[in-house]
Amino acid sequence: METLVGHVLLIGVLLSITLIIAGLIWHGVTAHQLGFEFEIAGTNLFRFALADLGQLAAHMVSPRLLISLGIIVLLLTPYVRVLASMIYFALVEHNWKYTLFTAFVLSVLTYSLFLR
Amino acid sequence: MSFELLLLISSVAGFVGAMSGMGGGVVLIPALTLLGVDIKHAIAVSIVSVIATSSGSASAYVRNRITNLKVGMFLEMFTILGALVGAAITLISSSRPLFIAFGAVLLMSWGTLFLRRHQKWQAVERQDAPSHWLELEGSYYDQAAHQTVIYQGTRAYVGGPLMFCAGLVAGLLGIGAGALKVLIHDLVMGLPPKVSTTTSNLIIGVTALSGASVYLASGLIDPRMVVPVILGIVPGAFIGTRLLVRLRNRAVRGFFMVVLIVLGIEMIVRGITGCDGAV
Repeated sequence: METLVGHVLLIGVLLSITLIIAGLIWHGVTAHQLGFEFEIAGTNLFRFALADLGQLAAHMVSPRLLISLGIIVLLLTPYVRVLASMIYFALVEHNWKYTLFTAFVLSVLTYSLFLR
Repeated sequence: MSFELLLLISSVAGFVGAMSGMGGGVVLIPALTLLGVDIKHAIAVSIVSVIATSSGSASAYVRNRITNLKVGMFLEMFTILGALVGAAITLISSSRPLFIAFGAVLLMSWGTLFLRRHQKWQAVERQDAPSHWLELEGSYYDQAAHQTVIYQGTRAYVGGPLMFCAGLVAGLLGIGAGALKVLIHDLVMGLPPKVSTTTSNLIIGVTALSGASVYLASGLIDPRMVVPVILGIVPGAFIGTRLLVRLRNRAVRGFFMVVLIVLGIEMIVRGITGCDGAV
């Protein structure tokens, strides 16, 4: 599991930074400055992500969207890591004790991601 | 607060944080607030950056099989609840108590370092039954000592609740609270130092996510700050850790302790006198 978790974390961070830098460069090239206007109103990660995916589906890709996606990927990295661990504990190690503990962590995290 | 300035400050914060083993938040938040950023926004930005630095460094430690994933998962059950509570407290709290709390935690972290400075790890003699049921044992290959170290974690029933408090501090102040967590792993649970540090590193990421969700829900996360901070702190931390392995322990620890005391006192003074940068 170490390899799995280690790679999930690494890929998450790298992907997130790549998206953010890509968005930033795109913005910098078009707007000739690095500062930008962008606010995230009080929301939860689920709605935030859905809104972004909606834009993706509508092909409305913009620098802001890339940056936004980058932040989402970053926030989801620990979440995916816990999810991967749970699946591994259950299906590979058949360790039901830890599947349960991990499920608890996952549910608290999921609850927090739906907070308003 | 310009993009470039934030980028610079975060790089320094990441660098100093990694060199001192404290993580960027400890340096970042005082720096941001000195420059006029409201402390709650600084905390929110910092907690997002903690996710980045934790995930980045934890990935390496986990792949080297030093981190104990079961200990981590077990303790995370407590820290994430603590972080939710801590972040909620910050939301309803006013600024000045946060400054004082921040300074107090820094001074306490200094204290924990001071206490631990001469201790050598002693293997746990008897692991208690609950900890054994929780499978809190493991082994890792220590490259410095060229041997495999086998260990057992114990006193999980104390370690767990204490980690709730560490999580609370992390959520409250937007830091990793690594110093507290490592202390708990070391002294309470008897884990070897490298396992303590690396496992704490892993736990910090999930804990930070928990707290970050609360700040996200309240709109305190400002992408205009998050972007330069993440882009600055991750490379800064990367360089800091590279440099860390080349320096002698005592130099690093001394530097670290000075940083803690200076920042700790500074934050407390600002909290008490009300010079919190708010206009």
